[in-house]
Amino acid sequence: MAGTEPSFFVRHEFLIRRLHSLTGIIFGGYVCVHLFVNASIVGGAQAFQKNVLAIHSMGGILPLVEWVFIFLPILFHMFVGIGITVGMIPNNKNYPYEANWRYTLQRATGLYLFLFILWHVFQTHGWFHFDWWLNVAERWGGAQFSPYNAASSIGLIMQNMLVSLLYALGVLAAAFHLFNGVWTAGITWGIWTRPHAQANALKVCLAASVLLGAVGLSAIWGARKIGSSEESIKQAEAIENEMYTVQVEAGLIPPTEHKRAHHADSDETPELTATPASDENPTHPSDED
Amino acid sequence: MAEQRVLVVGGGLAGLAAAMKLAELDIAVDLMSLVPVKRSHSACAQGGINSVNDTTRQLGDSEYLHFDDTVYGGDFLQHQPPVKEMADWAPKIIDLMDRLGVPFNRTQEGYRDQRRFGGTLFKRTAFAGATTGQQLLYALDEQVRRQHAAGKVNIYEGWDYLGPIIDDDGRCRGATAQNLVTMEIRAFPADAVVLATGGCGLIFGRSTMSMACTGSAASRSVQYGAKYANGEFIQVHPTAIPGADKLRLMSESARGEGGRVWVPRTPQDTRAPKDIPESERYYFLEERYPKYGNLVPRDIATREIFNVCVNEGLSVEADKQCVYLDLTHIPREELDRKLGGILHIYEKFQGVDPRDQPMKIFPAVHYSMGGLWADYERTAAGGLMPGSPRNHQTNIPGLYAIGECDYQYHGGNRLGANSLLSCIFTGLFVGPCIETALKSLDASASDAQFDLLHRAERSKKEMEHKKLLEAPTGGENPYLIHQELGQEMTKAATVVRVNDQLTAAIEKVAELHERARKCSLSDTGVWTNQNVMFTKSLLDMFPLAKALLKGALARDECRGAHYKPAFDMPGVESTDPTERRQQAELWCDKFEEKNRKWLKTTIADFDSKGDPTLSYEDVDTSLIPPRPRLYGIVGGDIIESVWKERQVKKTESGAQGVEKPANGAAEVSRDPVPANK
Amino acid sequence: MTASSTKRESFDVRILRQAAPGEPSRWETFRIPYEPNLNVISVLQKIAAMARNAEGKETTPVAWDCNCLEEVCGACTMVINGRVRQSCSALVDRLLEEHEGEIELQPMTKFPVVRDLVVDRSRMFRALEKVKAWVPVDDYYDRGAGPRESQESQEERYPLSECMTCGCCVDACPQYSKVEVERRPNESIEEHQARQAEAEKSEFLGAAPISQAMLFNRHATGAMLADDRLNALSGPGGIQVCGNAQNCVAVCPKEIPLTTSIARAGRQTTVHAIKKIFDR
Ligand SMILES: Cc1cc2nc3c(=O)[nH]c(=O)nc-3n(C[C@H](O)[C@H](O)[C@H](O)COP(=O)(O)OP(=O)(O)OC[C@H]3O[C@@H](n4cnc5c(N)ncnc54)[C@H](O)[C@@H]3O)c2cc1C
Ligand code: SF4
Ligand code: SF4
Ligand code: FES
Repeated sequence: MAGTEPSFFVRHEFLIRRLHSLTGIIFGGYVCVHLFVNASIVGGAQAFQKNVLAIHSMGGILPLVEWVFIFLPILFHMFVGIGITVGMIPNNKNYPYEANWRYTLQRATGLYLFLFILWHVFQTHGWFHFDWWLNVAERWGGAQFSPYNAASSIGLIMQNMLVSLLYALGVLAAAFHLFNGVWTAGITWGIWTRPHAQANALKVCLAASVLLGAVGLSAIWGARKIGSSEESIKQAEAIENEMYTVQVEAGLIPPTEHKRAHHADSDETPELTATPASDENPTHPSDED
Repeated sequence: MAEQRVLVVGGGLAGLAAAMKLAELDIAVDLMSLVPVKRSHSACAQGGINSVNDTTRQLGDSEYLHFDDTVYGGDFLQHQPPVKEMADWAPKIIDLMDRLGVPFNRTQEGYRDQRRFGGTLFKRTAFAGATTGQQLLYALDEQVRRQHAAGKVNIYEGWDYLGPIIDDDGRCRGATAQNLVTMEIRAFPADAVVLATGGCGLIFGRSTMSMACTGSAASRSVQYGAKYANGEFIQVHPTAIPGADKLRLMSESARGEGGRVWVPRTPQDTRAPKDIPESERYYFLEERYPKYGNLVPRDIATREIFNVCVNEGLSVEADKQCVYLDLTHIPREELDRKLGGILHIYEKFQGVDPRDQPMKIFPAVHYSMGGLWADYERTAAGGLMPGSPRNHQTNIPGLYAIGECDYQYHGGNRLGANSLLSCIFTGLFVGPCIETALKSLDASASDAQFDLLHRAERSKKEMEHKKLLEAPTGGENPYLIHQELGQEMTKAATVVRVNDQLTAAIEKVAELHERARKCSLSDTGVWTNQNVMFTKSLLDMFPLAKALLKGALARDECRGAHYKPAFDMPGVESTDPTERRQQAELWCDKFEEKNRKWLKTTIADFDSKGDPTLSYEDVDTSLIPPRPRLYGIVGGDIIESVWKERQVKKTESGAQGVEKPANGAAEVSRDPVPANK
Repeated sequence: MTASSTKRESFDVRILRQAAPGEPSRWETFRIPYEPNLNVISVLQKIAAMARNAEGKETTPVAWDCNCLEEVCGACTMVINGRVRQSCSALVDRLLEEHEGEIELQPMTKFPVVRDLVVDRSRMFRALEKVKAWVPVDDYYDRGAGPRESQESQEERYPLSECMTCGCCVDACPQYSKVEVERRPNESIEEHQARQAEAEKSEFLGAAPISQAMLFNRHATGAMLADDRLNALSGPGGIQVCGNAQNCVAVCPKEIPLTTSIARAGRQTTVHAIKKIFDR
């Protein structure tokens, strides 16, 4: 170290950390929308599918939106976060204060979310929608979510108890990490400065994280309910297919085959001719994963 | 000629003020301190710092009255020109500290707030919460850090000053010092060395002073020929908390708010204090001083507490000697509101809530009025000559002394909140004086011609160090000797002084000194050896301890903090008017006689073995003629009127015959200010 | 003060000792006769005087730092029963309640150990220099009083100004890491310190200097260097390294509102950074 110029990271650490905070907030906003939309599954396949279709009505610009507002921020946030966490020297045993536990928990949840998000996006969305990649991904258990068969496909995924548990953990971790992060961001950006302001902000943030956690858990519960039997999956699928047909015909969403479920036994799925416009997109990332 | 440099030893208020002022004058400064300067003892001062200010001025206060209070409080033992200069500077010094960012308490309108302190009628004391000394110290520390960043001051923290380096002409050309971590001994060439090393409370074992206040730097200088003055004048504070390691100050305000001092009538009563009934409690201050009760003046309270513990054997704890300071009769809320801060200190260190249990307190050594003898040059107006190289120079040319380690400002007794002032004042004032001194030199101590001198002195110190490390095992334990020295000094030379005890103590201390020379070390290592550094400072406590005892034995009078019951002057007891007058005349005769004999600075010179010889120097009292301190004396009123008559007569005859000093005339002829109530 | 402690005859003190930098550390136990109202400093004084460990073997006295003994100088900081604090105000009776029968002393964990319990905290003073923690007055002559100040402002500044640079806040901070440069043979004290300063150049400043920067930015004259301070705070090792664990404020013996200072610094650096973008 001695005598050498500080690294790029160290020289620009202030800016990088502020961006880290900012990207966290941006992605956090998305996570809120994401979990609330998902929780609509509690109201049945139709309600959920309606929300998903609304998002997919963005059509061609959806991938752009996804990458700019979701994937890039979170990837930046995740990798910088790892860098930050590496430098920590936890000392909760000797300093068992509440704030210190949150500090450590923030990093622990961060690490879990790092792995979880990489896996979760792969499992549902697949990250990229090149055809060749989707084939590979599907073989490895990725890209399992079909936006046009939203409830039924997520229901299938959630049939696995272990997956559900890991998701539940992910949702709770995210809820804590997000709002504890909002609270620290309030200090970082100097929004709450005095002790009592910080204490009040903390109360609000913790309440929000409990709420978000509950919303997220209810989404998992809803998905598991749909996935609880072949029957309910079938039912959901029927509803979804009908909605798909109606919306495509109304021109509200572009018809996209790979956003639909493809079961071995899915021959009853109504065939629709894909319009050229929709297939111009080389990648077909979807949202509600 | 190489660049001239100044070495400032000590980074308390005085040393830091000097370093920053010298840096401003573009003089290269090396600042050396035992502890990191920010951790210096000055941080302990709580009360505040005195100066005349705009509000007191409108109530009749003036620099002159501040000056007068200071010399009156000091029992006229200090040369008056330096004190006058300090009082004149005081308002400017507070302003400067204010500019440096000290968070002084504020009035509603945003001006500095002041409180009242002992020995004055005016609210002269500016303060920053309960940590004024800390705040002043930090402000100066910050400026010195700034000068350091600008490359003007080198800071050597963790160095122990070992002594001056004196050339064949008797001029100081630097100093030797030892690093506390690496144990390296180095010679620091310097064209002036400024000692600002604080007090010497550790000679008494435990005191309210910090652990660095060993007096070692002053002692090491006197062993090279510097003179030590008024060593016997040690201020003892009446109320401190006894601790196994230190005596912590417990502010006077506890008594101000109604605290009562008592001891159980049965010696070392084993009952819990709350279980002792009123009838078996001895409220000795209230009984002996019905008028003032617990709020008798500081020195009287101190003497009485000491008396009840030592002479009457009524101390609460047999070996610790302490009395109760009881606040438990005051409602909790009131205590929290008015005394929260100091009660917190007691709670923190004693682990006992003083709202529930009486505090255990004891008088404690607090301040050394005496110190290195230093010179000054007087102006015709009676102040100090700015820029004179004589100001604050010891009898060794080029060696200066400022702050608590010099003797000049507080005479026989220091007034509260005057010491912080004298420290900053001397630090700032000495800067230009040293500048003049450097200009008059035609060489720099860093020149090659002094190399040999520096090297020789360094090897001498290295030899001494080696000799200590090689002392045979099985000898004396320095820590135990220090404890014994402390006990001996506390017994003989604090509040009440008796010649027999002093004689015995002189013998005992000499014996301890001999034993200390045979100390063997439990650590003979060459890295961060605190054992050997402690032993060195212990050895250096003896010359000052001896001077202190010898000075106290010789001074057969009562003056300021120096109290010998055998030479006390009782007041006027008679009720018959003529007899009263006669007695008062007699009293005044005796007082004049006492001043003729003892209104003199004690000066100690030391031989090579560290044994002192005393001589005396007249005190410059040309500005304010000495007058009796009559506080609490029976018949004080009649003594005062007789004394005033005599003064009037004197000035009248002076006006006819003796020629008065041209400028100081108006001041010299001022009426003495009446005793403070 | 409890019944059990009055009956106690002695207690053990376990001390993590290290002879010099780079040397291995080892635990040594000392047995101290019990007295009520001891503090850790008086225990260390007793150890120095007896220089003998619990097994009765002769040993070197333990080295430690102290000065004021009343918790205003900051010198005597060490890790006591796992928590960093001042040894002068750490009372044995309380510590024995925390941990029955034994007291554990360790040097501070984030600073190079000099010997035993003595550490080198000069990094903290250097950090104060980095954030220019001073008021840039013109000179030390008489120019009248300083700026007028409201009571409210004085009450904000005074607590911050009580910081005694003891280092508790950084020792407990999970984001502050130790930087230790070993001394080379024959290297002078100054050369070694210079290399140490270089090595910690872009390391975290810690809570205390951040708070000091806020103290001086709040003073009318001090604020004239505000931009320099904010540059330092947003430079390498600046405010951004803080992870808001808030241990600093929990352990600060002077109860300085450090996290308020940190949040203020966050706000000021935000504004400063935006201004800088547009001033380019
Ligand atoms: C508890 C207490 C409360 C007080 N309250 C007040 C008050 O309210 N108002 C007031 O006016 N006064 C007060 N005083 C007195 C006042 O605090 C001191 O007189 C004053 O701080 C002394 O400052 P100084 O600069 O002379 O020395 P110090 O602050 O004592 O500094 C001495 C410096 O010399 C260094 N040093 C010592 N020996 C050596 C050596 N051998 N080698 C190298 N360096 C050495 C030390 O490291 C230190 O830096 C109080 C004193 C005490 C004990
Ligand atoms: S902020 Fe508190 S803990 Fe930190 S150095 Fe200052 S006084 Fe110590
Ligand atoms: S709030 Fe920041 S500075 Fe304080 S302990 Fe936490 S990480 Fe360290
Ligand atoms: S010795 Fe000063 S803080 Fe403990």
